[in-house]
Amino acid sequence: MTRSPHNPEYAGARTRPLFVVLLAGLLSLSVPAHADSEQDFLFFPSIEGFERFSDSDPANDGFEDHVMADFLYTLNSDRFRLLAEYFWSNKESELERLQAAWLISDETTIWAGRFHSISNYWASEFHHGVYLQTTISRPGLDEWEDNSGPMPSHITGLQLDQLFELQDGAGLKFGLVAGVAPTFAGEELVPFDMLDSNSGNESAFEARLIYQPQMLSGSQIGLSAARNEIAVDSSSSPDLADLDNIRQVTVGVFIDWEWAKWHLLTNWVYFDIDMDYVDARIKDDFVLAYVQAEFDASDKWTLFARSEFGFDEDDSPYLRLLPAFVAHRHMLGARWDFADSQALTAEIADTSTQGDDFTHDSFKELRLQWSAVFP
Amino acid sequence: MERRVPVIQRTPQILLLVTMLLSAESSWADREVVLVTSRDSAVESLSTLDIRKAYLGIAVLVGGEPVRAIRRRDDKQLNEIFLQSVMAMSLKSYERRILSLALKYGTPRPDQVDDAAALVGLLESSSRGIGYMWRTDAEGEDRVRIIGVLWRGR
Repeated sequence: MTRSPHNPEYAGARTRPLFVVLLAGLLSLSVPAHADSEQDFLFFPSIEGFERFSDSDPANDGFEDHVMADFLYTLNSDRFRLLAEYFWSNKESELERLQAAWLISDETTIWAGRFHSISNYWASEFHHGVYLQTTISRPGLDEWEDNSGPMPSHITGLQLDQLFELQDGAGLKFGLVAGVAPTFAGEELVPFDMLDSNSGNESAFEARLIYQPQMLSGSQIGLSAARNEIAVDSSSSPDLADLDNIRQVTVGVFIDWEWAKWHLLTNWVYFDIDMDYVDARIKDDFVLAYVQAEFDASDKWTLFARSEFGFDEDDSPYLRLLPAFVAHRHMLGARWDFADSQALTAEIADTSTQGDDFTHDSFKELRLQWSAVFP
Repeated sequence: MERRVPVIQRTPQILLLVTMLLSAESSWADREVVLVTSRDSAVESLSTLDIRKAYLGIAVLVGGEPVRAIRRRDDKQLNEIFLQSVMAMSLKSYERRILSLALKYGTPRPDQVDDAAALVGLLESSSRGIGYMWRTDAEGEDRVRIIGVLWRGR
């Protein structure tokens, strides 16, 4: 059976709303009372319809709906900051982020908790705020772990952010992360579970450097690097039976640039992977990339296109462990912004997933989405 | 047969029209958008970079305390002038930027008010609040103090 990125059978079963409420309550009690503390709440709802027309297997045709809601709570108090993001959908629900920061100075911040990986560009830029990403679909390279993303998108640990102000309003941002990496189970990466500290997770280290020609604008160019030791649950799938460990090293470059009515977003990541089997080590390396262009046709209308591709990825032993990974996608779409903070978006795409063997599963996609942010 | 109105008979209308146009031009040229704070505020002046930072939610300290930026939602022309001339962004870009900063880093978003009276009320309640108004409105309000000119009409 071909796995769908939105198939509920594969979605993470991490529904712990009671735990989240209790934890948030405890954290809010622990926040020092301060007259100037500020709280903010953002709500990102979206409804998506997804029709698939398979080229290789008509059994994979079908319609799926995806109702999603992302809740963001922030608290700022003097040099302390708390950020909690909870994601709910009709497929899963999960505490996405729970991180606290100490603002050592205006330029230096240390975060602790569960956060989105800084080497996963889409996750660190848009998180689950669907309304803020122009497109409906995410690039396969930057997909979440439970949607067959090839690299970690959730890390639990410490993060250091350092800002260097340059001349003429330019800025350099440096990020460093040390934490706990996901494990590999079944057909996906599984992030560290804060409720199960004995889950056998190993280490994750990440670094990122961003240059912004205007520190206060959105345009940026950056480099990222990560080294993840990924423990394997060998009993979770016959394909993993003799696999002990995966060492994943990535080096990436990204550009997110705005020129007048144009917006370019591209990310290229080189993967160097060692797969340690009981009796041998398999080495694997490949490049995954995407290029996305957006054009503001008017205040209300945005046209966009994205191409996702790779080099040496087709016969990658590592990616074969992720059969639903979107290896190639060529997509066109349009977005209409209306009523202050709401948008309707349509996408058509020619897509292929990695597949179980050496052949990709190819299909056409049609997606429609309503998204918004409140208040 | 077409009846032609003598020019001498139309002179009063022409003069009136010219007077109205000159008057409109004069009032447009006089229009200014100013940065205001409360009369007793500790904020004396801010650079354009600091104003931009404050309106993106990034901490700008005056006397060790953060400046509190307040947005106007009611006056479309005033907002457009402020965003274009100070923030150098369209409304769409600005909204996305402050949402993005809130989502990524938990950066607090600026307060929003629906009219000038609410702005003045909020400024009075904060020792480091800043807002923007037409100069004519600011000069008619003795509870606020002008600390900078953000835009001047052509």
